[in-house]
Amino acid sequence: MPAEEKKEVKGTTISRRQFFKQAGAVSAAVAAAAASSVIAPEEAEARTTFAEFFQNNYRLMTDEEKKEAIARLEQRHSEEYGKKVTVDGSPAMKDVLFGYALNIQKCIGCRRCVYACVKENNQSRHDTEIQWIRVIRMEKGNFTVDDMDKGYPNSPNESFGIQVGGNAYKNAGVALEGQHYYQPERVPEKDAFYFPVQCMQCEKPPCVKVCPVRTTYRDPDGIVVIDYNWCIGCRMCMGACPYWARRFNWGDPNLPAEEMNPKTHYLGNRPRMRGVVEKCTFCLQRTRKGRYPACVEVCPVGARKFGNLLDPESEVRKILDRKKVFRLKADMNTYPKFFYFID
Amino acid sequence: MKNKVSFIVDFFSYGLKGGSSYYAWLGILSLFILPWAYGSYQQMVAKGMIVAGFTDQISWAVYEGNFVFLVGVAAAAVTVVFPYYVYNYKTLKNVVLIGEMLAITAVLLVMLFIIYHMGRPDRLWHLAPIIGIFSWPNSILTWDVIVLNGYLVLNLICAFYNMYKRYTGQPLNEKFYMTFVYISIVWALTIHTVTAFLMNTMATRPMWFHSLMPLKFLATAFAAGPALIIVALLTIRKNTKLEIPDEAINLLSQIVVWFLGIALFLLLSEVVTELYPSTEHSFQLKYALFGMFGLSKMVPWSWTSYLVMIGSFVLLLIPRVRKNYTFLPIICISLFIGIWIDKGYALVISGMIPSPLGEFSEYTPTWIEIFIIAGNWAIGLMIFTILAKGAVGVMLGDVIHPSAAGKEVAHH
Amino acid sequence: MKIKKITKVTFGALVAGTVIFGIGHFQTQAQQEQPAQQAAATATVTECFESREGYTARSRVENVVPEYGYPNIKCSQTTGGVLWWGDPYDDTIPMGDMPDIDDITKGDYLTEDAVIKPREPQLNYFNMDPDKHCVMCHDGKAVPFPKDKKPRMITMHQDIVEDSMELMHGEGAIWCLDCHNATNRNTLIDHRGKEISFNQPQKLCGKCHGVEYRHWRMGIHGKRIGSWIAGGKKRWWVCTECHNPHTVQTNRFQPLKPEPAPALPKGMKNADHESVHAPSAAGHGEATPAAMH
Repeated sequence: MPAEEKKEVKGTTISRRQFFKQAGAVSAAVAAAAASSVIAPEEAEARTTFAEFFQNNYRLMTDEEKKEAIARLEQRHSEEYGKKVTVDGSPAMKDVLFGYALNIQKCIGCRRCVYACVKENNQSRHDTEIQWIRVIRMEKGNFTVDDMDKGYPNSPNESFGIQVGGNAYKNAGVALEGQHYYQPERVPEKDAFYFPVQCMQCEKPPCVKVCPVRTTYRDPDGIVVIDYNWCIGCRMCMGACPYWARRFNWGDPNLPAEEMNPKTHYLGNRPRMRGVVEKCTFCLQRTRKGRYPACVEVCPVGARKFGNLLDPESEVRKILDRKKVFRLKADMNTYPKFFYFID
Repeated sequence: MKNKVSFIVDFFSYGLKGGSSYYAWLGILSLFILPWAYGSYQQMVAKGMIVAGFTDQISWAVYEGNFVFLVGVAAAAVTVVFPYYVYNYKTLKNVVLIGEMLAITAVLLVMLFIIYHMGRPDRLWHLAPIIGIFSWPNSILTWDVIVLNGYLVLNLICAFYNMYKRYTGQPLNEKFYMTFVYISIVWALTIHTVTAFLMNTMATRPMWFHSLMPLKFLATAFAAGPALIIVALLTIRKNTKLEIPDEAINLLSQIVVWFLGIALFLLLSEVVTELYPSTEHSFQLKYALFGMFGLSKMVPWSWTSYLVMIGSFVLLLIPRVRKNYTFLPIICISLFIGIWIDKGYALVISGMIPSPLGEFSEYTPTWIEIFIIAGNWAIGLMIFTILAKGAVGVMLGDVIHPSAAGKEVAHH
Repeated sequence: MKIKKITKVTFGALVAGTVIFGIGHFQTQAQQEQPAQQAAATATVTECFESREGYTARSRVENVVPEYGYPNIKCSQTTGGVLWWGDPYDDTIPMGDMPDIDDITKGDYLTEDAVIKPREPQLNYFNMDPDKHCVMCHDGKAVPFPKDKKPRMITMHQDIVEDSMELMHGEGAIWCLDCHNATNRNTLIDHRGKEISFNQPQKLCGKCHGVEYRHWRMGIHGKRIGSWIAGGKKRWWVCTECHNPHTVQTNRFQPLKPEPAPALPKGMKNADHESVHAPSAAGHGEATPAAMH
C-alpha cells in the first residue's frame, strides 16, 4: 500500500476512536431516552420483524435501506440485551485484501483462540454450542524397535502374502485422523502438534458457488460474508465447505446479555437468529476498523499473524516472503487466504 | 371453465369416496397426522431444527435423504410412460396415469421434505426470481428447483389434460399432448440427474464425489419406482374393476429386475474402486459398510439394504417368482424399503461421516423427526391414494361429464 | 359397526399422541434447565495471566472502554488465561528506541506507535523495596558483588533457577551474570558491558538470537496486539513475556492448561473413538474396527 493511503487509513481509525470517546456519553443518554420512550416493546418487536421480513439482500440495498435496516437492528438488540448496541455497516477498506498466516510450529493447542472468538463474535454459548475455530491434535508418530513385527497388516492371516513390518501403520499428522476433543492436563504435549482450522476466506469459495440465494458472497477485502437476514438455511454451503468452517443455528442462539459484545457489524458479529448459517469473518467488525482479529490478539504464543496481502510491509506478506507456507487441502483448488507456515 | 370446475369436483369427490376398507386405509394414514402436527409445531414454530438429530458435523440427514429418494420415485414414472408412448406398448394403457399420479405425489412430497430441511422456510420467497435472488446457473440447487417444478407442471398437464378430455369425451389434441409427453420423458431423467449433481459436485465429500452417482441414482430409482407402481397396480386390480393385464405387471417387474441389476453392478464398481486403494477418501464408505473406530450405527442399515437388494434381484430373476402375485408385492415392498434405506438414509448420512476435518460422529434421529417423516409419508400416501382413485374413476368411466356419458372416443 | 371401529381407533391415536406430546415436552424442558445450573455454580475469575503463567499477571478492570462498557481484559473461567482484550494499549508505555534493521521494512516500527507493558514493576515479584528492587540486597555490601561470571552453586532463588550449575539456557555456554548486571541487579547487561533495562530484554536476547530478533522486529515472530496496519499502533510482547529465559532449554514455552474441549455433537456420549487410533491410548494392531484399513 502506498504510504499516503496508509496514513489515510490510520487517520480514519484515530478519528473514529475520538468520535466514540465523545459518543460514549451521548450514547448513554440516548440509550436511557430510548428505554423510557418505548411503550410497547412487543409491538415494536413485531414491527421490526415485519420490516425485516421484507428487506432485501444487504448487497442490493440502497444506502438508505441499509441505514434503516441497521437502525432497526440497533434498536432491537439494544432492547433485547439491555445495553447500547451498535451495528456497523462499514464496507471493505480500499486497497485491502485480508490474509492470515498461522505458525503450526508454534501453536500449542491451548484453544484460547476458540474462546476469544466466541466472546468477540456473539456465538451461541450452549444448546447448541457454536465455535468457529476447531483445533485438531495430531500425533507426531514414532518408530520403535518393539513395533518391528507390528503395523499393517495386523496379523499374518490378513497379510495376503504381503510382508510389511517396522511399525508401518501409525498415524502421524494425518488430518483425517486427528483428535478434536483432546483434553490433557497441559499443552503442548511432547508427542503431539496442533492444527487450528477456521474459515479460510477462499478466493474460489465453494460455499459461495452453491448458495442458491447469494446470501453468502465475497466482499472486496476478500472476506466471505453472510447476510443472516437473507439466508434460507438450506446448508448447501455447509456441505460444500472443505474446511468445515460453517456452523448452523439449529435452535435459538443462547447468548447471555452480560456476555454480549455490543460492538457489532451487520455482516459480522451481530446476534444471529435461528435457522441461519454463520462462520468466521476474520472479525470484520474489528479488522475494518484497523484492529487485529480477536484470535490473533489472544494467541499466547504469537502463532497467529494477520494483515493486508496487498501491502508488502504487512506481517502476512513478510511471512509469505520468508517462511515456508502451505494451504490446507490445496487439491480442492479453493485458494485460501489462510496460510499455514513453519519457521 | 364450468366443465373444468365440475371435472375437478367430480374427480376429487370420486377420489374421496370408497368402501369401508378404503376409509380404513385413509383412517390409518390419518393417525400419523397428530404426532406429525406436534413435530411440525416444535420444529417450525417452537424450537427450530434443534428438535431433530442434526449437528454441525451431520448437517444433512433424513429430510434430505427422503427428498433425494422421492425425486427418484417421481422420475420413475418414465418407466411406464416411455414403453407406452415410444414403443407403443398397449398393455400399459391403464398404467400410465397411475404412474403420472405417483410422479405428481412424489414431487409434492419432495417439496414438503425440502421445507422441513430448510432452516428458514419463512424465507422461501428469497429463492423466487425477480422478487428474490435466484442464483442460476451458479447454484445446482436452483437447477433442481427448475427441474422439479417443471416436472410437476409437465405431469399435471399430461395427466390432467388427458383425464379432462376423457371426462368431457373430446378427442386429444395429439400435437399438443405428445409434445408434453416427450418433453416429460426427457425431463424425468433430468430431475434425478440434477439431484445427483447436487450431492456429487461436493468435492469435499468423497463418498458422493464420483461420476457414477447420477447413473446409480437413476438405476435405483427405476427399480424402486416401478416396485411401488406394481404394488399400487395389484391393489387397484384387486379392489376395483379396472383392467390391468398381467403383461403390464410382468413388464414392470422385468424393468425392476434389470435396473436393480445395473444398480448392483454400479454398487460393486463403487465398492471395489473405493476399497481396493483404501485411501482416506474411502473412510465414508468404510464407515457405512464396516463402521470405523468403534462407531457402527450405520452398519446394520447398510447391510440390510444391500442384502435386500441382492436378495430381491436373485428372486426376481426367477420367472416363476416374478409372476407369483402373492410374493411379488412382498418383494417389491421390501425392495422399496431397501432402496429407501440406501438412498434415503445411509447415503446422505454416511457421506457426512467423517466431517471434512476428519471428525467422526454418529447420527440418531429424534422422535420428533420420525413423527415428521412418518407424517409426511402418510400425507404422501393419502394424496397418491386419492389421486389414483380419481384416475381409476376416469379410466373406468365413472368420472364423466353428463354430456359425454355413453360416447366412445379413442384415447391413449 | 365399522364406523364405530374407526372412531375407536382414531380416539386411541389421539390419546397416544397426547401422551407422546407430553413426554416430548417434558424431556426438552429438562434438557434446557441443565446449563443454567452449571453457569450459576462457577465464581468469576478476574485475575489472569497473559502468556507466561504466574509471570504476566493482569487483573480485570471494568469499563476501561466506556463506549462499549468493555473491561481491559476478559479472563478464562477455567484456566485463568486472558481470553480477550478490550483495550489493547491499557497499562503500556512507549517501547523506546530500537536500532533499524537493514531491510525495506525498517522493522515495521515507528517509535510512537510501538508500546510495551513495562517489565520493571515486575521486579517487585519478591516483595522488595518498591524503588530499590534487587539492589535492596545486591548492593555490594549485604551481598558482595561477584568477582567473575564463572558458574557456582547458589543457595538463593531456587524458585527461578533450580540448580545454578545446570542453567537451562545456552547449553552451558552462558551463565546468570552473562545477562544479569553484577553491579546493578536492577538491569541486564550485554556482552560488551552495556546496561539494558528489563523493559527491553530484546536488546540483550537479540545479541545471540539474531534470526529470531530480526523476525520479531518484522512482526513475524512473537506477539503483537492492537492495529494490524503496518506501522499502526501496536502493543509488542517482549521476549521474556513469552519465554522464561531460565528454563527455555527445557520448554521453549511453558506448558499451560488448555481451554475446555468443544461440546460433543448431539448423540455422542464420548470421544473415545478418537483415541482408538492414538498410540498412547490403545495399542495399535489390536483387532479394533480401526484395524480394517
